[in-house]
Amino acid sequence: MASASSLAAAIASKTKTKKKHFVAQKVKLFRASDPLLSVLMWGVNHSINELSHVQIPIMLMPDDFKAYSKIKVDNHLFNKENMPSHFKFKEYCPLVFRNLRERFGIDDQDFLNSLTRSAPLNSDAQGRSGARFHTSYDKRYVIKIISSEDVAEMHNILKKYHQFIVECHGNTLLPQFLGIYRLTVDGDETYMIVTRNVFSHRLSVYKKYDLKGSTVAREASEKEKAKELPTYKDNDFINDGQKICIDGENKKMFLEKLRKDVEFLAQLKLMDYSLLVGIHDVERAEQEDVESEDNEPEDEGESDGGGIGTPPDSPSNTLDSTKPLSPGEFDPAIDVYAIKSNDSAPRKEVYFMAVIDILQHYDAKKKAAHAAKTVKHGAGAEISTVNPEQYSKRFYDFITTILS
Amino acid sequence: RVRCGNPCSSTGGLASKTKTKKKHFIGQKVKLFRASEPILSILMWGVNHTINELSNVPVPVMLMPDDFKAYSKIKVDNHLFNKENLPSRFKFKEYCPMVFRNLRERFCIDDQDYQNSLTRSAPLNSDSQGRFGNRFLSSYDHRFVIKTVSSEDIAEMHNILKKYHQFIVECHGNTLLPQFLGMYRLTVDGVETYMVVTRNVFSHRLTVHRKYDLKGSTVSREASDKEKAKELPTFKDNDFLNEGQKLPIGDDNKKYFLEKLKHDVEFLATLKIMDYSLLVGIHDVERAEQEEMDVEGVGEEEEYENDGMGGGVLTGSFGTPPDSPGNPLNCGGFFGPGEFDPSVDVYAIKSQDGVVKKEVYFMAIIDILTHYDAKKKAAHAAKTVKHGAGAEISTVNPEQYSKRFYEFMSNILS
Repeated sequence: MASASSLAAAIASKTKTKKKHFVAQKVKLFRASDPLLSVLMWGVNHSINELSHVQIPIMLMPDDFKAYSKIKVDNHLFNKENMPSHFKFKEYCPLVFRNLRERFGIDDQDFLNSLTRSAPLNSDAQGRSGARFHTSYDKRYVIKIISSEDVAEMHNILKKYHQFIVECHGNTLLPQFLGIYRLTVDGDETYMIVTRNVFSHRLSVYKKYDLKGSTVAREASEKEKAKELPTYKDNDFINDGQKICIDGENKKMFLEKLRKDVEFLAQLKLMDYSLLVGIHDVERAEQEDVESEDNEPEDEGESDGGGIGTPPDSPSNTLDSTKPLSPGEFDPAIDVYAIKSNDSAPRKEVYFMAVIDILQHYDAKKKAAHAAKTVKHGAGAEISTVNPEQYSKRFYDFITTILS
Repeated sequence: RVRCGNPCSSTGGLASKTKTKKKHFIGQKVKLFRASEPILSILMWGVNHTINELSNVPVPVMLMPDDFKAYSKIKVDNHLFNKENLPSRFKFKEYCPMVFRNLRERFCIDDQDYQNSLTRSAPLNSDSQGRFGNRFLSSYDHRFVIKTVSSEDIAEMHNILKKYHQFIVECHGNTLLPQFLGMYRLTVDGVETYMVVTRNVFSHRLTVHRKYDLKGSTVSREASDKEKAKELPTFKDNDFLNEGQKLPIGDDNKKYFLEKLKHDVEFLATLKIMDYSLLVGIHDVERAEQEEMDVEGVGEEEEYENDGMGGGVLTGSFGTPPDSPGNPLNCGGFFGPGEFDPSVDVYAIKSQDGVVKKEVYFMAIIDILTHYDAKKKAAHAAKTVKHGAGAEISTVNPEQYSKRFYEFMSNILS
């Protein structure tokens, strides 16, 4: 048996993504900087392999929405270099997420490869409530650490979410939920959810907005602005005079999807979601390409977006096996949220826009937040504690406005 | 993009087939681990899992002492998931995974082939009972034998494993001792079952028509009437002698065989192991040709017993060429009557040229886990009472046992 250990080790430990000289690894060591990531890699590898031994049903049954697979590993003096000796991995509703992956056009083997060929990368960003983000090494997927309440909410909405995805044929701006897991290492439980990256796996995003359509407390803090890629908000967008210049056809299609999506969310009494907007500046990217040819590795992008890659495209996924793409070009089967700027736009840009953070339920929220905000902003101020119906309308109206 | 494999609905049928005559296996991409019993499904799942795990662990330059104390353990608890093929809750433990991987390599068994043999289709039950009612299974392709053992056997394996491994290193895998390939503990419904996988002594293709279990002792060494009633009885020392059975393998083969045997039994004596047997299987070439013609397209074969599974009367001896699918080792051309691939049927020896009855013999040592000390306490008193002080009884010491064993075997070969 060939020993690919040293080569694999060198590859596995690489966090630099600029030079991507991956050899098709036969040996996956699941080596990562953090045992939690090793367990994630091992777990996804295990789960996809297990699913390959389970027949694909003609249709999902109610039990599939309550199911889970659980595995506990207890090794002794074996495989200690790469993995913790004791850990647990639980996957929620495996058959449902396999079906969802299929509906979102994601092949299980590709999904597996993205998450296991090399360790997921840390993101500096903090999401809502300080949640941690990772992206798969190839930046196709985002892995978010969530709470057990989020997991419970996911279970509550899963059937309806799945039904919605069936009806819209996977054509939606809602998060594409691809897997939910619980990892236990050293007695600590961590819940993770995998979604498709809103941003491109290749094209860099130089400016990012998180928009809700509200005006209270919707500005990036000084601390946020100091980051490499700050998350700007509604007020910043307006004050910056930012424009999203897309043509009529794209705008129409986008808003149709958005309307259906927010109506669905309102029905489920979900709110406080955002539209994540990422802007790729084609000229600027070409410039950066030239400059950074020999420079340091770039930082990862944050919150659901991370995307700097140099052509020719990175290895691995079969979806990628085509020729290099020119500046500002993208494969719409991979970068599903990408929309080009129209011909009359001042700068050639590509926009990535989708809905994120949909797990906040009105009832749960009401109890907690209402009192606090009223106190802070006074009775007259427009505060976020509208109801889901109002929230969805206000959200939709705001987005419509900014697209004109 | 194409999704990974549509399940073959036919796998259910294939997995439950005990008939091996028609081997129309499609390279199964979807392994369902379907079997007649949960324990077999778990065995398949477990071997599949452990070989996959090992493929993600680099092969070390050499084994370390800790590898002989190591184990991997996994506990599965599914809820409303995958219930059709597997129990929802079970455990699978592999002892010393790195050591057995190394042993498989030294015995020229590729891990992928090993995995395929044990997972593509369910292992087959054997009717027979081994010593102490231990259960035998054979991989569906008859290359490997799976024996259910006791926890004491597991402990004894651990005791001898380092020295066994060293012995295998030194003889380059060239031995008549059992080729230990894996050791597992399966837990389902709270019941623990220990299993050891070894290479089949008999052929995966050529039928064995007569079988002997020889120890070189003469007390109680005869097949019972109940045993004789079986499809393939296990005959013993006295039967062998009384029938005037011969094993004409020729001088060169005999010399080579006895060299190995001597080396092996000396090793066993140093470890104070005894009560092992030489398992002998005889394939009658002409008879097999006749059988092939007689039974084209008919009925079931039986499985055979004790470490030797040559498949039944109807099997693989017919592997009507081309030979059955699966292992790459199998895709060689086709074999004439009485022919074999010595890298697969490693124990096979042809009868020498010029004999009237053309035969192939399969001979190797089995049952090497009885340690003298453990045994002494238990058996000595019982046998003395039964046969009286003067009778030659099996409770000699390991050294004596090995000498007597070797003498007997060298006499029966010609």
